Amino acid sequence: MVTAATKAGQGPFAAARGKVLGCDRCGTCLPVCPLFQVQDVERASARGKNALVRGLAEGLIPPDREAQEALEFCLLCRACTDACPGKVPTEEAMLQVRQALADTLGSTPLRSRWIGRVLRRRRMVALGAATLAGLRAVGLHRLLPSQLVPRETSRQAYLAEHAGPALLGAPGPRPEPALHPGAKVAYFQGCGMKLLFPDASRSTQRILAQLSPFQQPDHPCCGLPHLAHGQREAFLELARENIRAFEAADLVVTDCASCGGTLKHLASWFADDPVWEHRAARFSTKVMDLTEYLAAAGYRPQALPGATFTYHDPCHLARGQGIRRQPRQLLEQAGRLIELAEKERCCGGSGSFHLEHPRAAEAILRRKQEDIQGTGAQVVVTACPGCLIQLTRAAEQSGGAFQAMHISQVI
Amino acid sequence: MTTFTAFEPEVLDGFRDAVGREHVIESPLEVFGYSYDASFLPLDRNTMPQAVVRPRTTAEISRVMALAHQRRIPITPRGAASGRTGGSVPLQGGIVLSLDRMTSILELDTANMMVSAEPGVRTVDLHDHCARHGLFFPPDPGSWKFSTLGGNVAENAGGMRAVKYGVTRDYVMGLEVVLADGSILETGGKAVKNVTGYDLTGLFVGSEGTLGIVSRALFRLRPLPKARGVLRVVFRTMDEACAAVQEMLLDGVTPSAAEIMDATCLEAVARARNTPVEEEAGACLILEIDGDGAEALEAQSRRIEAITGRAGCIAFRSAASREETEAIWAERRGLSSAVAAMAPNRLGEDISVPRSAFPEVVRRINAISTSSRLRIPVFGHAGDGNLHPSVLCDLADPDQAARAHQAVDGIFQAALDLGGTLSGEHGIGITKRPYFANAVGPVSLETHRAVKRALDPLGLLNPGKIW
Repeated sequence: MVTAATKAGQGPFAAARGKVLGCDRCGTCLPVCPLFQVQDVERASARGKNALVRGLAEGLIPPDREAQEALEFCLLCRACTDACPGKVPTEEAMLQVRQALADTLGSTPLRSRWIGRVLRRRRMVALGAATLAGLRAVGLHRLLPSQLVPRETSRQAYLAEHAGPALLGAPGPRPEPALHPGAKVAYFQGCGMKLLFPDASRSTQRILAQLSPFQQPDHPCCGLPHLAHGQREAFLELARENIRAFEAADLVVTDCASCGGTLKHLASWFADDPVWEHRAARFSTKVMDLTEYLAAAGYRPQALPGATFTYHDPCHLARGQGIRRQPRQLLEQAGRLIELAEKERCCGGSGSFHLEHPRAAEAILRRKQEDIQGTGAQVVVTACPGCLIQLTRAAEQSGGAFQAMHISQVI
Repeated sequence: MTTFTAFEPEVLDGFRDAVGREHVIESPLEVFGYSYDASFLPLDRNTMPQAVVRPRTTAEISRVMALAHQRRIPITPRGAASGRTGGSVPLQGGIVLSLDRMTSILELDTANMMVSAEPGVRTVDLHDHCARHGLFFPPDPGSWKFSTLGGNVAENAGGMRAVKYGVTRDYVMGLEVVLADGSILETGGKAVKNVTGYDLTGLFVGSEGTLGIVSRALFRLRPLPKARGVLRVVFRTMDEACAAVQEMLLDGVTPSAAEIMDATCLEAVARARNTPVEEEAGACLILEIDGDGAEALEAQSRRIEAITGRAGCIAFRSAASREETEAIWAERRGLSSAVAAMAPNRLGEDISVPRSAFPEVVRRINAISTSSRLRIPVFGHAGDGNLHPSVLCDLADPDQAARAHQAVDGIFQAALDLGGTLSGEHGIGITKRPYFANAVGPVSLETHRAVKRALDPLGLLNPGKIW
């Protein structure tokens, strides 16, 4: 027993193995794993991937491209951890093992490399946003595949649809900011919002401005795409930049569930660097999701009578940050909320997963689309651009049965 | 362990012809996923099958079996691999016959109150399907949300409701079984009374995949109880709690579940939920009652309150709302992980004793806990004498590991000494194999062997299991 145990306890996969030691392979995660639902082989399940981690650490599985592919096939949605009797953090194990594989093999999978490279550079993101804005202005963005450039529904279009006598009635109560007056609020505009959903991002800024003046410091990507694909150094550099960029703010509000989830958990990645660990921990306490902030600030959206919503919980907001009540509260004030079946089941977006594994993502999305249509709601609302890419696609495929919008566009 | 030789790659083509190319898995990385189950066996290169074959129909199983028989290839059947004793772990290479694609519920016969289904159907899905038609499939192993029917039949799975409704065996009316050479056997049927020939159905229930492959099962059903309630009763001692359960059964007020936990379990739950431990609490019963409506439940609840009162209970609570029901069940459901959180490792056991011996076996387990200097919380199904002592330890510490394994040996011995058995609902598989011959004796062992020889003369079906 000396060999396997000793090797496992010391090798490059030791950290990842440590995360899954509590897995007794009972199988509770099998029915809740969205990927196992669409690809019913053990490798695709959370249990299967946790076992692969141990297999790698214990020398039973070679650390090769096939293993890397298999371990990239995870949505990081945490549905397994939620159901797990021992709360085994599969998502964290995946981040660790992807890093270890990238280090061992000397590279990340080809498909995720270019995304990391683009998002690392602020200028590239800005350039991308400007280019897409230009294309949108003349309608040429429709020539690009919708997974890359979703056809965003604008708030203006939404308001126009709901325009009419009802809208001319008494306006909803004005927002009353209640969060320590004078707090310096800053907006963290994630890459997804900036590049793909500029109208939603403008809506967020409109709402923020109603509550108080806010800053928008120049800042880079939150780093999740890098962390997810074994580029930890890049992630740490981005994290440090972000901490510096928001030094002056008291509150960092983001309208992206994935950015928020990442930014709230920065400290643990600096465990070996006390100075930055402390700065990261302080920074994380300032981060709030938009809906969390609006609920705390007492924001009251203007109601559009007749509007019906259903709400898709982003993995990184519901399970990642425990935020479920606030978005619902806002939507109930803005219209009628009809709950979605299995509302917390991942939509299959998961960063660049839908680009890397289009077939699996599509199969997951089909189920989501059926559930959304089952509610009969006009609009499926969510709070993460990652989900919104998928949901916009579902809306298109539904042939106009519903629209997909960011929560900031309807409140 | 028997050594095995790998089969030639061209045999794979035969399996591919039988089930379709994409349903034969052979990449070592993928196959690794079929080398383990939910037992505490370590991951092991030697338990990897050479290939995984996933049939969709009985005819496909038959073709696979015939080919394997012809080429002398070992076959290990597998459902969801949620078993606790290594039953679906291949010991001699060969193929894993994965039945997880056979997920059809074939016929719900409401007139005869029976349902037939394929082995890959999840237990919960069969339950829900029947419930939608007002019928009730009672077997509810703890893993029912992910375990599959083939495994339930092969392991004769039990569950919490066994005290009132019995175990899987009590519901199997007939089986379709593919035998080792690929021939297809039909047993039993819808006739409730049936004494034509041996009870072959019973022979295959609990046979752990060593005699044939269950490709279809016919189950009888009950009417779905119209109402359910839950009670939580606390006692000073396990003896008092056990006595109360016996009194209920004698009195004819049979709870549909009678889950018992000892003081260590209560401590674990309190610790996990960050709540104070109840003073003087030495045992707790969580009882489920069911019946025709609120009045029937109320009457049962009053009788149970009187009985538990006489037995010396110190707290009695009947859930008045959905929330309260949920809260009480959450305590029982969270128990396993709460106990697991108390130590790095846990050897969870599954002994079963005559109901009257329940208090005594708990006393003996407590003594083993003292002598092994390891905590051994006990919970289980008080109504049917099936209990799950969990030996808490750190297996990384060789001294503790040795003591833990000794404690498990002691627990088995205590069960056998009191007229009990090694396994109530998990089966023997690999993990309890060393204890089997001693537990059943030489005549029973030879009888088992004779049955095995008759049905699987080449020893290809799930080799290395049970004894």
